[in-house]
Amino acid sequence: MNIRILGGCLRVFSWGAVLVLTGSVLMLLGYLLVKGVPSLGRDLIFGQVDVLDAVLLKKRVFDGLFPAIAGTLSVVVLSVGLAIPVGVCAGIYMSEFATVFQQRVFGLMFDILAGIPSIVIGLFGFSGAIFIHKYISKDFRPCLAVSVVALAFLVLPYITRTTQAALQGLGDQTRQAALALGATRVQNIFYVLLPRSVSGILSGIILAIGRCAEDTAVIMLTGVVATAGIPGSLLGSYEALPFYIYYISSQYTDAAELMSGYGAAIILLGVCAVLFFLAFLIKRHVAGPAGPARGRFHG
Amino acid sequence: MDNPVKIRVENLTFSYHQTPVFEHINLDFNAHAITAITGPSGRGKSTFLSLLNRLWESQPFAKMEGKVWILLDGQWVDIYGKTLSKPDLRRKVGMVFQTPNPLPMSIYKNMAFPLKLTGMTEKALVDAKITAALRQAFLWDEVKDRLHDSAFGLSGGQQQRLCIARALVSQPEILLLDEPTSSLDAGAASVIEDLLVRLKERCTLIVVSHYLDQVSRIADTALKLEARGFLPV
Ligand SMILES: Nc1ncnc2c1ncn2[C@@H]1O[C@H](COP(=O)(O)OP(=O)(O)O)[C@@H](O)[C@H]1O
Ligand SMILES: [Mg+2]
Repeated sequence: MNIRILGGCLRVFSWGAVLVLTGSVLMLLGYLLVKGVPSLGRDLIFGQVDVLDAVLLKKRVFDGLFPAIAGTLSVVVLSVGLAIPVGVCAGIYMSEFATVFQQRVFGLMFDILAGIPSIVIGLFGFSGAIFIHKYISKDFRPCLAVSVVALAFLVLPYITRTTQAALQGLGDQTRQAALALGATRVQNIFYVLLPRSVSGILSGIILAIGRCAEDTAVIMLTGVVATAGIPGSLLGSYEALPFYIYYISSQYTDAAELMSGYGAAIILLGVCAVLFFLAFLIKRHVAGPAGPARGRFHG
Repeated sequence: MDNPVKIRVENLTFSYHQTPVFEHINLDFNAHAITAITGPSGRGKSTFLSLLNRLWESQPFAKMEGKVWILLDGQWVDIYGKTLSKPDLRRKVGMVFQTPNPLPMSIYKNMAFPLKLTGMTEKALVDAKITAALRQAFLWDEVKDRLHDSAFGLSGGQQQRLCIARALVSQPEILLLDEPTSSLDAGAASVIEDLLVRLKERCTLIVVSHYLDQVSRIADTALKLEARGFLPV
């Protein structure tokens, strides 16, 4: 009797939870669209500059989001590009070479790194920049390079952990196929294990892309500014969409400005959607045909 | 049997997590013969095969003592010694698994894979070796027109023969087969049985099999794995 009531409650409650979740997503998107769509348009992105001139970098865009879009794309591509080789190699080490003890110790480190709030990572990057400024070069200040390195640290644990999990998820049958044919351990990793883990690794990369694109705390402390134009150098300042949104919503002077903040939010979502879609295409392309059933070295 | 001995197992003891699977085993296998190993599931038949090509070494908490010798070019070689690297050993001692395990690539690439591992790239040579091995495995006629199709398009029996052919491409002297027909229907299984008998002239074969009728059809010697040791059948 009690169990039945409990079961009923659980069902109603879970159903409600799903409803609240779905409702929130729809409300959020709807709100954003209602507020932001009217400001969307050529002017929001390119201001008064001709589209072709802006894209070909002939004229600088002052009153549009184009530099912020370019900044966000650069930050994402560079930091994920930096984090992928390091993260994937660390994941390979964890799964294929580390002893059980090392896996525990390093795993704990990666979990701690994953748990550090991004503002702290930002502070770390900022301190690094200050250090270089003081002791190495007076010309050095927070810039794109600092943001990229700090963000790479932020997303490294995701890539490492997903690589490790994808490799460890491969069954003995997959692991032993090439070894039994005379593959060395390294050949096995490169010819069989990594190609079979691509799909898992890409999920980690997708997470990392999202994290880099949305992050505001790190970049605020490490080089983003309100107006910088298209990022021209790793050692220069740059603009970014999330920072623009933050900045405009805290200091807007009229309704139109606030509206452009909503527009920027939609564009940020769009940029993320495009990056996710690209990653998804790569995933589909690389993953190839499914292998035979995975299983333990049979008994 | 008066064939010379090809594999000699000496005082072999093996355990997983300190639970013994074999204790002080001494055993000889004759050259150019099929030795069948039967026995209840979980007794260590697969484990025993993996001791002959050192594949068990990737398993955590496994421990082995004793020696395994194989006769290569008239010399007794300790397979756990320094003279033979693991990849080289595994080219000499091929293995075929219970479930066919082609790699997710074309038939041709599967066949070329062991050669690629040794750095052999000369196309004419690779092609010749692949053709020869596919013929030896009774598969050439069935796949010669579809070499560049995915290996997963083949039937189970064909996939298993592909795996045998892929092992043969490295010209092994010993072939270990772990219940090679247990995932196949009777027709496909009997093709493989014929194939194994034919392969005796090239290799020394050790076949794990659950099926006593299969053992009586193909085996020159049959061993039954009982608790921690082998008994002749
Ligand atoms: N990787 C492993 N780790 C620990 N125990 C194992 C492992 N592989 C097999 N075993 C155990 O060793 C015994 C022999 O297994 P196996 O060689 O697969 O037997 P068979 O092939 O005769 O069915 C079984 O009890 C099995 O549970
Ligand atoms: Mg078995």
